[in-house]
Amino acid sequence: MEKVRTNLMLCAGTGCVASGTAKVKDALQKELEKRGLEKEIKIVLTGCNGYCAEGPVMAVYPDEIFYQKLTVEDVPMLVEEHFLKGRPYQKLMFKEPEKKTAIPMMKEIPFFKHQVLRVLRNKGLIDPEKIEEYISRDGYQAAAKALLQMTQEDIIKVIKDSGIRGRGGAGFPTGLKWEFASKVKSDVKFMLCNGDEGDPGAFMDRSVMEADPHSVIEGMIIGARAIGAHHGYIYVRAEYPLAVKRLQMAIDKAVESGLLGKNILDSGFDFELQIYQGAGAFVCGEETALMRSIEGKRGMPRPRPPFPAQKGLWDKPSVLNNVETLAQIAPIILNGPEWYRSLGTEKSTGTKVFALTGAVNNVGLVEVPMGIPLRTIIYDIGGGIRKGRKFKAVQLGGPSGGCIPEHLLNTPVTYEDIVATGAIVGSGGMVVMDDNTCMVGTAKFFLEFTTDESCGKCPPCRVGTKILLDMLTDITEGRGKEGDIETLEDLGRDIIATSLCGLGQTAPNPILTTIKYFRDEFESHIKHKWCKAGVCRELTTFLIDEKLCKGCGACLRACPSKAISGEKKMPHKIIQDLCVHCRTCYDACKFKSIKILPAKFQGDPAELEAVSGKSKREAE
Amino acid sequence: MAAKILVVDDEVIVIKSAERVLRSEGYDVEGVLSGREAMLKLEQNNYDLVLTDLKMPEVDGITLIRWLRNVKPSIGIVIITGYPSQETIKEALELGIIDYVPKPFTPAVLSDVTKRALEWGKGEAEAEKPKEEFPPAMLSELDRVVKEHKDKPGSLIPVLQRAQEIVGYLPPFIQKRIGRGLNISPAEVHSVVSFYSFFTMKPRGDHNIRVCLGTACYVKGIEGVLDKIKGSLKINIGDTTENKKFSLEGVRCLGACGLAPVMVVDQDTYGAMTPKKALEVIGRYDSSFVGAAAKEEAEETTE
Repeated sequence: MEKVRTNLMLCAGTGCVASGTAKVKDALQKELEKRGLEKEIKIVLTGCNGYCAEGPVMAVYPDEIFYQKLTVEDVPMLVEEHFLKGRPYQKLMFKEPEKKTAIPMMKEIPFFKHQVLRVLRNKGLIDPEKIEEYISRDGYQAAAKALLQMTQEDIIKVIKDSGIRGRGGAGFPTGLKWEFASKVKSDVKFMLCNGDEGDPGAFMDRSVMEADPHSVIEGMIIGARAIGAHHGYIYVRAEYPLAVKRLQMAIDKAVESGLLGKNILDSGFDFELQIYQGAGAFVCGEETALMRSIEGKRGMPRPRPPFPAQKGLWDKPSVLNNVETLAQIAPIILNGPEWYRSLGTEKSTGTKVFALTGAVNNVGLVEVPMGIPLRTIIYDIGGGIRKGRKFKAVQLGGPSGGCIPEHLLNTPVTYEDIVATGAIVGSGGMVVMDDNTCMVGTAKFFLEFTTDESCGKCPPCRVGTKILLDMLTDITEGRGKEGDIETLEDLGRDIIATSLCGLGQTAPNPILTTIKYFRDEFESHIKHKWCKAGVCRELTTFLIDEKLCKGCGACLRACPSKAISGEKKMPHKIIQDLCVHCRTCYDACKFKSIKILPAKFQGDPAELEAVSGKSKREAE
Repeated sequence: MAAKILVVDDEVIVIKSAERVLRSEGYDVEGVLSGREAMLKLEQNNYDLVLTDLKMPEVDGITLIRWLRNVKPSIGIVIITGYPSQETIKEALELGIIDYVPKPFTPAVLSDVTKRALEWGKGEAEAEKPKEEFPPAMLSELDRVVKEHKDKPGSLIPVLQRAQEIVGYLPPFIQKRIGRGLNISPAEVHSVVSFYSFFTMKPRGDHNIRVCLGTACYVKGIEGVLDKIKGSLKINIGDTTENKKFSLEGVRCLGACGLAPVMVVDQDTYGAMTPKKALEVIGRYDSSFVGAAAKEEAEETTE
């Protein structure tokens, strides 16, 4: 066998594939062959690296040099410089935003530096389609240990002692769940995996399933052994075709290798696993609804008790765990509960993966110890707010979560502390919003989602969310009236108290938290018919402050409806009858001369000072 | 007038027997031994139906079918194959074949399939024929899938997913057929189809555009992109353009938030979309669309 000198770990996650991984791979292969390097340098397609925004990304091992934004055109120079002459190629390296100095080593880049990888331990290091590579990184050792050396009680004790809690959203202790199910006597039990990642803004489960499918399977084998189940399903969203493909490949390989099926590793334990593809319903992330869906029915939740641990899928005892939870089981079994507890806080142990997206500089998947402040994630890992804008809020937990304002950014990320703010950790979607975002509009966005996804079984959720949405729509379109805020709050609390499942019980959270922290925005929408972010079209007037306008013409060129007139180097004007309130000019102006004023504002731009000054006082 | 049929197969015995069977039914039959010869024949003459093998040296059946769909889309196609693997059947169905004859075949099967295929072809030509008719090959593939899942619990959703792959959508006729096959009431089948957003009861266009409506995409301005697409294609979410080229769907987070705003056309993901870039992408799937969009733009400027 030829000796491989260098491995090029090229990311083939969904993000990088969309940015052109396939073309880059072909170009690299060709270039290496041209230079006669193809035998000593190997290209490996890995799962998601996490740094999706800069894709396609590639790490060079053993040097640990990290390249980003690869293009076909750059490949010849890269190969010549780095692999032929041994000089890492600066042009494609990460650069510090301010100093513009290149940082070659992956572990030195801020985005990676603060992360601790447990769930994502194999990301970017293995080819997810090869079981050998997973095994070479201690894969299936934990399963062997659990099956051959541990009793059911041993496994449950380790998991309980580790303090790991369900990573799907609710944070229920995993060990307890397993214990309940293991104690129920039944000839048939089911071990299930929830890969129906429905929260918009969350993609950590997708990444795990794509980058390290065997870690999920191994977790399920251990769980199945703990509760005594011999059948399992992985429920995956139909929107994730690559995850389905990789999981299926992994299952087939595991069966071939005797790690799934009858008499696993000669332990006498049988476990059969199959994939079940969802069909696009957010409510199916709820456990009872998910089980209904596997039964081939409408995915509607049912009241608990009986809990699934007693009567779940086909009325048999069942355990449902989230993908991220299952991916952590193997290292806990191998390294012990103390190791797991060494990170995180007393009640929220271990690490959590977040999908950091929105208006931050570094977008992608990050895994951090529980208990670190939100600020560290957003500013140190995320690199702060894009284009130097101002931070406004961070949305946690998707449609079940809430928006956290700036003054709470030092909140440590634990289940309890985040709940205290009114949001939830949820599955880990973290969407950062800058001052261009309208918070009333954001609340409306989430309500549109929940209204649409409400399964319709219980009226508080079905009717309640619709009423909330209608009220928010009225407010954003200028029909808000005195007392609306109080009604929203009252109704929201009623929906929480009376809904059947988690969807309804959390649907009002986005509204309640935005009212709590951004009440002045609701008030200015209702009282002054003024959306200060300039998002709600009916609630704005755009005016150019002639004192600030330099007449550069940027707004004039950007305006899609030709509503701006003015000579070069002379103050421009917006023709109000033609303006469609799209905010394009506002974003185009470099001199902050475009002002967003209340709806139907009539007057002289000279009055600007007075108006904005007055309203500011009022808002305070 | 007798229907004109061209038989393409690299085995002489197949051609000979097909000729014998079909001529005795009164059809006008010709046979050729390769895909290349078939192309020559098809360029010179008009046929009502082509029966073709899939596995042939040089120009294989799929290539021939693809070429034929482009050059003379009105000619009906039936495949003769010894290897009816799911993949090739699926590919052939997507190319619009009417039916298939498994090898080896009996004379009765061959003449049956031929007769049905010719009738089907006529139906296609008459526009007023009810739309809910599907090529026999499609239905037999569907029945095979249903049979495969018949006694497995919870198989309705997987069958519906496969059915949508095969047929493209799930009209009542297909739902009823699945219900009958699985022994589930049509009401229950419909209750599931209407519940999940993945299932559609309307036929989709050639290309399906899915726009992500997730939070990250929302924050980064997907609404502007969506408005532009809607305006240019002149359709709303859930609709298909008049020329049946594009369908538009809104989806709840595609899980590619790092690339927001995101849209997916068929199977390809496109990130960091702007209204302008989105139109460019769509243009790659339909060249006439670019022309239309450019023309529109030109009109706007002259106004």
